[in-house]
Amino acid sequence: MRWRSKGRVRLNPKLAKPVAVAVVILFLFGNATRAYAQAPDPILSGTITDLSGKTVADAAIAVRNVATGQSAQTRSDSEGRFQINDLAPGEYEVSVSAPGFRTSVSTARIGAASGETLNLTLGRALSLGDLGFEPSQTAGNAKDQALLDKRSHMLKLHQQFGLITMIPLAATVILGSFAGGKATSSTDRVVHASLGGVTVVLYGTTAYYALFAPKVSDAPTRGNIRLHKALAWVHGAGMILTPILGEMAYQQKSQGEKVHGIASAHGVVGITTLIAYGAAILTETLK
Amino acid sequence: MIAQALLALLLLLAPPEGSGHGWVLVRSTLTYHVSHKLHDTDGVSHAARGRGTCQAGQCDFLIAVPVKSFDSGDTNRDLHMLQVTLGGQFPMVTVRTRLPEEAQGSKTIRADLEIDFAGQTAKFTGVSFEQVTEDGERRIEGTIPASLASFHIDPPLLFGIAVKDEMPVRVEMTWRREN
Repeated sequence: MRWRSKGRVRLNPKLAKPVAVAVVILFLFGNATRAYAQAPDPILSGTITDLSGKTVADAAIAVRNVATGQSAQTRSDSEGRFQINDLAPGEYEVSVSAPGFRTSVSTARIGAASGETLNLTLGRALSLGDLGFEPSQTAGNAKDQALLDKRSHMLKLHQQFGLITMIPLAATVILGSFAGGKATSSTDRVVHASLGGVTVVLYGTTAYYALFAPKVSDAPTRGNIRLHKALAWVHGAGMILTPILGEMAYQQKSQGEKVHGIASAHGVVGITTLIAYGAAILTETLK
Repeated sequence: MIAQALLALLLLLAPPEGSGHGWVLVRSTLTYHVSHKLHDTDGVSHAARGRGTCQAGQCDFLIAVPVKSFDSGDTNRDLHMLQVTLGGQFPMVTVRTRLPEEAQGSKTIRADLEIDFAGQTAKFTGVSFEQVTEDGERRIEGTIPASLASFHIDPPLLFGIAVKDEMPVRVEMTWRREN
């Protein structure tokens, strides 16, 4: 209802308020409708399959806008489908990876108004089996590792006790020069014998860790360890003989006799043992 | 009928989906170098195996070598190396890389390597390899700047002194193309 007044169209004042409300409602409704009808941001969707056509679940899909660097990631669902929303229009690098498959890198152009469907096929990745390795060669196990760990642990103790043993061994040999020969002091003999006893105990402990460390290789022994082991026969025998000969020499000396017979070899055997023992340590130090 | 027969023939002659040429590793020498205050050590392996498959202009390579195949000339040291690198649990070293086919014609290759070793995966980008062609085979040489820390390996000790962290691996490989 409009009133004409002096050539201008005027609204009936009684209807002005309802019309204004209607206009506002229409304006709001119109905007809401327009917003609802507005096209969503472009999406990238598709399906990941393998060469046999089976879908690939849980594949990682990463996209990167070539121009802006904008990136997004998702994973394929149980039916191999994926969808990435809200991508700006442009060219994208699409990378798809899944365990056991070759990583696929391709490009996709996303338009301004619509989404893009990108179905990708993943080729199988090369495996150790393809290289001719048997599963028994490639599958490790905790038991093998535990054996190696035990071996290394025992050999470290062997090394530490070996170095410690060197101290009383050298001291015993040095003090032997005061206990033997024309020396008559029983104290020197006791100190020498006591140090010898400590050396034997430490040596035995050192040897235990080497002898009872697990054997993990049936391959022939190579390198300086061969000399190390060969020298062990020398100082090992010496470490048994020296205290026996020493006891014999001790008894002879205590009875006021001059050391004689095989007991007189005690000093030489002891020095030989020390040299072989020191050389054995050097073989492992200087290899 | 003739057209159908020709189409069937063409389909038979066409390569199957996913096929392409490839590469096979013919010979290799891999040498790791470890340095200690008392001495330096090199461990050598000739036991690597490798293949490459090429599709759509890209070649994927897989090279693998048993950890225990490295020989430093001393059994004791090799077994200790096997232990510290968790070789019992993870007995293989694998290297994966992808190269564009055109890179195979160039004198220098820059490769991004993904190396699985000691239960860890480390990536080395832009590792440079020299390439020469000899008797139809491709010989590739280079050094991977690996380190013990790259694989979370505790440096082994000798007489209480740790070896240096750097463990470069010299690579010499000969590849043959196969169709």
